[in-house]
Amino acid sequence: MGLNIDVDGLKLAYDTVPVLDGTEFRVERGDLVALLGANGAGKSTLLRCISRILQPAAGSILLDGRELRHFNSREAARLMAVVPQETAADFDFTVEDIVMMGRFPYLKRFRKEEGKDYDTVRRAMEMTGVAHLAERSLAALSGGEKQRVIMARAVAQQPEVLLLDEPTANLDIGYQSMLLELAARLNREQEVTVIAAIHDINLAVHHFNRFILLSGGRVMAAGRAEEVITSENIQKSYGVKASIYRHPLHGVLQVSVVSKKENTCFDQKKPEVHVIGGGEEALPVLELLSQKGYRLTVGPVSAQDSSCRFAHFHSLPVIIVPPFTSMKDEHRQEHLSLMHRAAAIVVPPIPFGEGNLPILEQVAAVLAEDKKIYIIDLQGVAERDYSGGKALKLLQEMVDRRAVVMETIESLPEIIGSGGGGTSE
Amino acid sequence: MTSDKSNYKNTEIKRGRGLKKTLFMAALLLFLAMVIIVATILGAVQIGWRNILSILADTLPFYSSPRAVEIAPVYQDILLKIRLPRVLLAAAVGSSLAVSGAVFQGLFRNPMADPYVIGISSGAALGAVFAMLGGFSLTVGGFGAVPLFAFFGGIATITIVYAMARVGRAVPVMTLLLAGIAVSAFLSALVSLLTYFAGEQLHQVVFWMMGGLGGATWHQVKVMIPYALAGYICVSIFSRELNAMLMGEETASHLGVDTEKVKKILLVGASLLVAAAVSTSGIIGFIGLVVPHFVRLVAGPDHRFLIPASALLGGALLIATDTLARVIIAPTELPVGIITALIGAPMFIYLLKRRKKLRYFGGGG
Repeated sequence: MGLNIDVDGLKLAYDTVPVLDGTEFRVERGDLVALLGANGAGKSTLLRCISRILQPAAGSILLDGRELRHFNSREAARLMAVVPQETAADFDFTVEDIVMMGRFPYLKRFRKEEGKDYDTVRRAMEMTGVAHLAERSLAALSGGEKQRVIMARAVAQQPEVLLLDEPTANLDIGYQSMLLELAARLNREQEVTVIAAIHDINLAVHHFNRFILLSGGRVMAAGRAEEVITSENIQKSYGVKASIYRHPLHGVLQVSVVSKKENTCFDQKKPEVHVIGGGEEALPVLELLSQKGYRLTVGPVSAQDSSCRFAHFHSLPVIIVPPFTSMKDEHRQEHLSLMHRAAAIVVPPIPFGEGNLPILEQVAAVLAEDKKIYIIDLQGVAERDYSGGKALKLLQEMVDRRAVVMETIESLPEIIGSGGGGTSE
Repeated sequence: MTSDKSNYKNTEIKRGRGLKKTLFMAALLLFLAMVIIVATILGAVQIGWRNILSILADTLPFYSSPRAVEIAPVYQDILLKIRLPRVLLAAAVGSSLAVSGAVFQGLFRNPMADPYVIGISSGAALGAVFAMLGGFSLTVGGFGAVPLFAFFGGIATITIVYAMARVGRAVPVMTLLLAGIAVSAFLSALVSLLTYFAGEQLHQVVFWMMGGLGGATWHQVKVMIPYALAGYICVSIFSRELNAMLMGEETASHLGVDTEKVKKILLVGASLLVAAAVSTSGIIGFIGLVVPHFVRLVAGPDHRFLIPASALLGGALLIATDTLARVIIAPTELPVGIITALIGAPMFIYLLKRRKKLRYFGGGG
């Protein structure tokens, strides 16, 4: 099962605007491929060429070495099924009628559907979970159910290749992953070669194992996620700055596009703020302050820390220390100088332990030099204090010495801006 | 396994659906037979069913019915030369219109499409009006100038519309529909222009355009039936493809339908049906619109059923309305097109109202 697909030098233009401009790639038998790319990159056009709706002006598409246009319609439909983005339902076929249409390429002209066609249809409906809807009208179904019915029709076609053209564009997140999981299952269990145009890269990485990134009608990158989904490629093909990171639970690559607001430069007139890093909990603070234009410094953190990535991404000064070691003198000096430069220091709701206690001690020391220090969520410290109460004690001492305590971070930028704080008056 | 149970249930339902369709088809056949009988009995001249039976029996070879009173030969002529060919012609025309309506609605995925949607009627009308005003007296194969010009006017129009709508190898149905509307509007303007200068022939022109089956002959029946049959066979062979086309051309093509070829064949078949109908009877509206809608409402959109059922119902309906047209103000008769519009339009509105909760091609559920 499954077919090799060779696309070579494909060219196609709408009017004079080239949409495919020498597209070339090879999809191996049994591959599970996500076709990525910005709007207008040529994803749909490419799929429509492969599904024989469009005739490319130049180039060739080979299915197992045989020129695609040499297949007749029925032959092609026995090899290849398509799930489009949306299916109009302004007619009243039942779900079973629709799925039975998948048998069309197998039915001879004057022959009626036979038992084995009904069996295939039933199995397809059971696989996609629409068997209970068999007698319902397609028009009466929800978008998610409809797509599963169309998926069942594709399954009933018993294809070697399954093409999906943004099949999840109109679905909620539950149905999105259910549908892509179905495609992945077909690939796994029946070795169907799957090519799916997908907008949502983060969704795609969960279900696919090969990626083709189109840009301007050409293949910009192809291969595993790590080879294709890089911030350079995203920047070049989508024209946005994006950060790539690993999903905290699944470890797959994720893309986060940086909003325009974040892209704006740090405001030179605003005071510099030093944020104590370490752990995910520092991120919201960094995010908020950077959006408001505060110049930030970060540290000390380990190179793998999320605050460190944030700092790198925005080219912020950051003190990097090796993980699981105590701070060296040089780092202490650096940290001290950053804190001296800053107009304010923020202690986010991070966990504390023996490892970062020295950092807190340094903070306490600069408080004596009349620095503004903001401690977020003092009440919660007890829960994340792994230093046997030492951190809590230190922080409480700081509060006694006019460090500002804040329950939440929302008003932090304003309060820093006004140079004030509740207890510091 | 639960699937055994559901399979069982499923076949039960399928049998139920099949039974419903069989019953519906039987009802249609019965209706057609009844309508034919009633239409043969009714008319300006009372013949009486006994006489009708014996006249019909006399037409059988080697048989002569015993009878006490001799039947007036004029009765024989009225029955055999006027009523019967008219009933059969009405059946052929009605079937052709209903089937072509079903095909065009499916092809254009537009429930408002009727047999005249891509301009056949205005082309045929222009041909007919041209022939009337020109006073041509040519006869080909027993046909006068008006039906000939109407037929070729219709066929020429569809050819032009098709050529206009073609983009490379493909003919997008949307473009076809739009080209049809544009060409139709232009030709209608020409018809109006000619009608304006029609003078004495105005009555004839208007009458033709109202549609009617008056003066039906066996000759017309003989010519009409091969067209109707050819067109019918042509479109019914491709009814499974037409089902797939209802999902959209791209989907149909993904399912293995050679859409361009199928479109061409269906277009030719349906156009033949319409051109033959229009050239024999003028423009008779609403049969092609209402009949397929009604059938869909009862039996769903499957063309393998829709097309034969529409043929039966369309034939029966046109015989019925034509009979009404003959007897309602007998001995004068109305153009049947008026009756079909008078009955068809309210019926269409009723269907529309009933289907409110369903979609365009609603039915079944």
